[in-house]
Amino acid sequence: MILPRLLNYGPSASGGLVVARATASFVGGSPTRQHLPLSSSSFSTTTQTSNPTKNVVVVDGVRLPFAMTSTIYEDQMAVDLQRLAYQGLITKTALDKKDVDYILAGNVIQEVRTSNIAREAAINAGFPASIGAHTVAMACISSSVAITSAVEKILAGKASTVIAGGVETFSDVPIRLTRPIRQKLITMPKAMKKGGPLGAVRHLFKGLKTKDISLETPAIANYTTGEVMGVSSDRLSAKFGVSRGEQDEFTVRSHTLAGKAHKDGWYDGEIIPYKGSTEENGIKADSTIESVSKLKPAFVKPHGTHTAANSSFLTDGASASLIMSEERALELGFKPMAYIRDWSFKACDPFEELLLGPTYCTQEILARNNLNLGSDIGVFEIHEAFAGQLLSNLVAMNSQAFADKNFGGKKVGEVDMSKLNTKGGSLALGHPFGATGSRLVTTASRRLQAEGQRFAIGAACADGGLGHAFLLERYSN
Amino acid sequence: MFISPAARKALFAPQNRYAVACRLSQQAFSTVGTGRVANALISRGILTLDVDGPLAISTPHASTSRSSNAFSTAAAIKDSLPTSKATASTHGDEMPSKPFISAPERKYKFFQNVEITPTGVAIIRFDNPDKKVNTLSFALMHEAKSMWQNEIHSNTNVKSVVFTSAKESGFIAGADIFDISSIDDKSTLVPIIEEALQFFLHMKSKNVPMVAAIHGPALGGGLEWALWCDYRICTDSSSTKLGLPEVKLGLLPGFGGTQNLPALVGIQGGMDMMLTGKDIRPVKAKKMGLVDLVVAPQSLESVAISTAEGLANGSIKKSKPKTKSLLNRFIEDTPPGQYLMWDKVKKMVDKNTDGNYPAPYAIIDCVKYGLAHPNGLDKYKHERERFAKLAATKESEALIGIFDGMNQMKKHSSSAEPIPVKRVAVMGAGLMGAGIAQVTAEKGYEVLLKDRDDASLGRGLSLMNENWQKKVTRQSMTKYQYNLNTARVTPLSDQTESWKRHFGGADLVIEAVFENLELKRNIIQLVESVTPDHCVFATNTSAIPIADIAAPGEQVKRPENIVGMHYFSPVPSMPLLEIIPHAGTSEEALATAFAVGNKQGKTCVVVKDVPGFYVNRCLGPVLVETCALVKEGVPLEKLDKAMKKFGMPVGPITLIDEVGVDVASKVASFLSKADLGVRMNGGDISLMSNMVEKGWLGKKSKKGFFTYTGKKDKAIGSEMVSYLKEFTGGAVSNMSEEDIQNRIASRLVNEAAKCLEDGIIENPVDGDIGLVFGIGFAPFKGGPFRYMDSVGVTAFVDRMNGFANNLGEQFEPCQLLKDYAASGKKFHG
Repeated sequence: MILPRLLNYGPSASGGLVVARATASFVGGSPTRQHLPLSSSSFSTTTQTSNPTKNVVVVDGVRLPFAMTSTIYEDQMAVDLQRLAYQGLITKTALDKKDVDYILAGNVIQEVRTSNIAREAAINAGFPASIGAHTVAMACISSSVAITSAVEKILAGKASTVIAGGVETFSDVPIRLTRPIRQKLITMPKAMKKGGPLGAVRHLFKGLKTKDISLETPAIANYTTGEVMGVSSDRLSAKFGVSRGEQDEFTVRSHTLAGKAHKDGWYDGEIIPYKGSTEENGIKADSTIESVSKLKPAFVKPHGTHTAANSSFLTDGASASLIMSEERALELGFKPMAYIRDWSFKACDPFEELLLGPTYCTQEILARNNLNLGSDIGVFEIHEAFAGQLLSNLVAMNSQAFADKNFGGKKVGEVDMSKLNTKGGSLALGHPFGATGSRLVTTASRRLQAEGQRFAIGAACADGGLGHAFLLERYSN
Repeated sequence: MFISPAARKALFAPQNRYAVACRLSQQAFSTVGTGRVANALISRGILTLDVDGPLAISTPHASTSRSSNAFSTAAAIKDSLPTSKATASTHGDEMPSKPFISAPERKYKFFQNVEITPTGVAIIRFDNPDKKVNTLSFALMHEAKSMWQNEIHSNTNVKSVVFTSAKESGFIAGADIFDISSIDDKSTLVPIIEEALQFFLHMKSKNVPMVAAIHGPALGGGLEWALWCDYRICTDSSSTKLGLPEVKLGLLPGFGGTQNLPALVGIQGGMDMMLTGKDIRPVKAKKMGLVDLVVAPQSLESVAISTAEGLANGSIKKSKPKTKSLLNRFIEDTPPGQYLMWDKVKKMVDKNTDGNYPAPYAIIDCVKYGLAHPNGLDKYKHERERFAKLAATKESEALIGIFDGMNQMKKHSSSAEPIPVKRVAVMGAGLMGAGIAQVTAEKGYEVLLKDRDDASLGRGLSLMNENWQKKVTRQSMTKYQYNLNTARVTPLSDQTESWKRHFGGADLVIEAVFENLELKRNIIQLVESVTPDHCVFATNTSAIPIADIAAPGEQVKRPENIVGMHYFSPVPSMPLLEIIPHAGTSEEALATAFAVGNKQGKTCVVVKDVPGFYVNRCLGPVLVETCALVKEGVPLEKLDKAMKKFGMPVGPITLIDEVGVDVASKVASFLSKADLGVRMNGGDISLMSNMVEKGWLGKKSKKGFFTYTGKKDKAIGSEMVSYLKEFTGGAVSNMSEEDIQNRIASRLVNEAAKCLEDGIIENPVDGDIGLVFGIGFAPFKGGPFRYMDSVGVTAFVDRMNGFANNLGEQFEPCQLLKDYAASGKKFHG
């Protein structure tokens, strides 16, 4: 049994979650040379073989205000949100639309009329029709894929200026008739031809059961396991010994930080106004441990630890990032925010560790670049699908037992809470599936600039046991 | 020959083909003033009986801009500019010249050579090489007649006929109004039209199927031609539109339109088209039975030919008339239904024209006559007689004058070329700024909309988006076009760090900020520091002299780039734009402002840099006189009613309420202090300033002269009654409507004449259009100068002198009027 040993390293074992465990080991200081084969001239990783001298940078990023589903974007289609995010990026950067080489979007719940939503959003945002565009889907890390695809395009020499965005709306999800009725309707014209209107009616009702007369709504559950995300995450938290109290505490932290960041104007510019407002209505800055601890479990009843508060809520929103080759960015007079140095997409067993991807991916990036989590990384932006999920990953990263089993004994490391999601996370800001990845990159880049840190790690989990992490290096302007 | 030698000479003399692309914006006519002239001029929404709604515009291909689809192209196109060179090249595009293959010599001026297919389809293509668009002229009719006689009528090989256009620009954009204007004795139109009608009947008498294949506009006489055919096919292009806009020129469809159209689409649909003059788009045209088939432009001709073949050999049948709903059968085909319908139609026309426009009544009369005399040719005779009568009316002359004037004003005689403008920055996202941004983005410019903060910007964007959303709802704009329009507007606040980078690409900046000289000069300084040297700076002021704004100094380094562009609110619906150069404005800057204004769909009038420019300057004395009349105890409603009867879209009291009592008060006091001298005397404008102090600001504050309760309900409240009692000292006047009209009109028209005398406007055409489009001066009177012509300048001056003796020197006619009175000269022709 691995659990007891793991718990030694878990937050509960160390007496509750310590939020502000500031370490002075790496504040503005430059890491030692031997850890850094990464300076732009000598940087080389296994992923960058095509053109090692080429640097790819994050120039800028924006998002529409993330909003609770069926609120401000109730009447909009996803394509409209993505279009507005693209436009907002152009407004923010003053990039000439003609200078864009390619456009990408991440999206999860697909509206069939806009299956290639990137293209429809692009032409409706007034981009020249000649610019290619495609849409990617990788659950909650869809816009992360959009961004890394952009990087790959640039590294492969196929583009130098790419817009990568992402969008999600749950205000208008496809609600379908049941399969038997769909089958009947699809074969209806044939029956009509053969038997006329009467034959069609007979065809429709023949063999139809009462239970077929129903609707199918999409659920946030894994296809293979049939398990709802929340249930899986609840189990994961139990496995890593993350308590309800810790989850609630982390939730309040997220709302408090997000509320503060908004109040301080930190998100000015990053959030593009929708109808004149940049308010994100999911943030409850005044939430307290008392208020969130009152809630009943939402997934595993009655003893589960995941509640409506400590799980991210259904969110509508869109984001967009401007990814360019360093050369082109400088040529057009931009001041990039960060280099995109590395990224990882790894996957784990969806039955057991559905949402543990961030741990594996972070480990891969650190190992590949010979970086130390504690001393080299100054900024963390990790997606908060569930407070329990994020905390489980932190436990796993810092677990010797877990490291012994999976990483040959080398722990990923302990994430310094004072560097993690300091401007709020998905629990408070919201989590429009397709758009979160771009938000993480933008916020991490901006934090690097603002905080003067050198490296940022971002990570996110996704349905299917997928995980993602990325490594950014601050761009000195 | 049914064309007078004089007309023919005029027609073929190149200098007379001045011209048009003649996109007379619908707004021009339909939303002059506060949007009421529309109703005065065309009776929209006139038929609401049809539940199927002949009024609903439903076409996915509707064009973005109302202005391009509307009055546009017109019943009457005096074509123009095409120099022979330009013609050659456009022509060449369609039919690449093959120098080594000898082409058969062209036999006709207005048509390509007739092509007859082996299956017996004669294809007749309209093609006037001198013009950008085909128009129906007497000369064309004459040539058509001989062509038909020589090639078609007796040719037994011809089993069917297809009429189409060789031009991309459209089928036939209308009849040539020049023909009508050039004839002095309008009664001679009767035999001329009769001859044309004989030709149509002659064509019918060959008894072969005729197919009209329509791409682009088929308007006025063009549609009437198609109505004589047995089958109509149109393309689904966004440029395809069908309509009978004659009513907008005070005329009626004279080539059988009033008879043939109702027979085809029903009385209600037909009346709706003829009384409003609106365009019908392809999908709607098919739905209402105006066309038989809608096809893609690429297959128009081949489908037309095979349809003609089919009609000839019987494999295709003529479309049956639409089956009417029971309700419509009752309305259109039974005496009580018809009675109700005509009653309703008449009421609507009365309401919308105030009886000032004879054309709608003549159209109703022709249709009724046709119903009473369905057989024989009398109905056509009646129609052309009514047409000739209408053509002789002052109203028609005035409306044609406006139409003509607009076309003349499309061009400004500037010695310089405008700079190419791609990106326009608008400073200030208030009602004005948002309106300017809207009309600019709609026409394809990139727009930078700048204001202080996101909230102000958000309000501006909402204003625009709501206006566009309405168009989407009405289906006059697609969602895609809506999205593109919104995407063209880049909102920038002071916090948007990139705003300077954006402005680095601006070619024209239009400021619409508060009326404050220092603020405007600071903005110029800021803008000059971030824009390229060629960037033109336009200031949208209504009061501050442009010369003051552009005075060179610390804040202004490029005064030559500064010009005034005075828009009227609400910008999207007001058709006029005053362009005001100051002494140092460069010709390029002026030409650029003019070109952009034109493209924004505005009729631009260049005026001198004087207080109030032209329109507000003329309005000043009107405001004063209104105050004087109120003081004398003329009831407010009576004032309004009298001026509405005169032909203004709204009376002066309502006008003040709508523009805002504060605004009107400011204009009046500003002009009182300006250089108008005695011409601003005679009235106590504290009438308005007192109200401003009380917070009665007009419609916007729900209370001005009237109290506004509902959306349309207004009444004079008890507070107003007591205020008026106080103001007038209890005076009560029962002045005649005519006196009220004459007093206000005298001040207005005299000021316009004074502007001409002082060179503030260049010519009477500018003066007429300026006031018709700026304040809605009775369009059927054609503007102040045409009005003076029709009253007679001498009579007008006598009247003013009479007022001057009784009321004071503010009624003293200006020197120019006295001169004209002495010499008996007229302002127009």
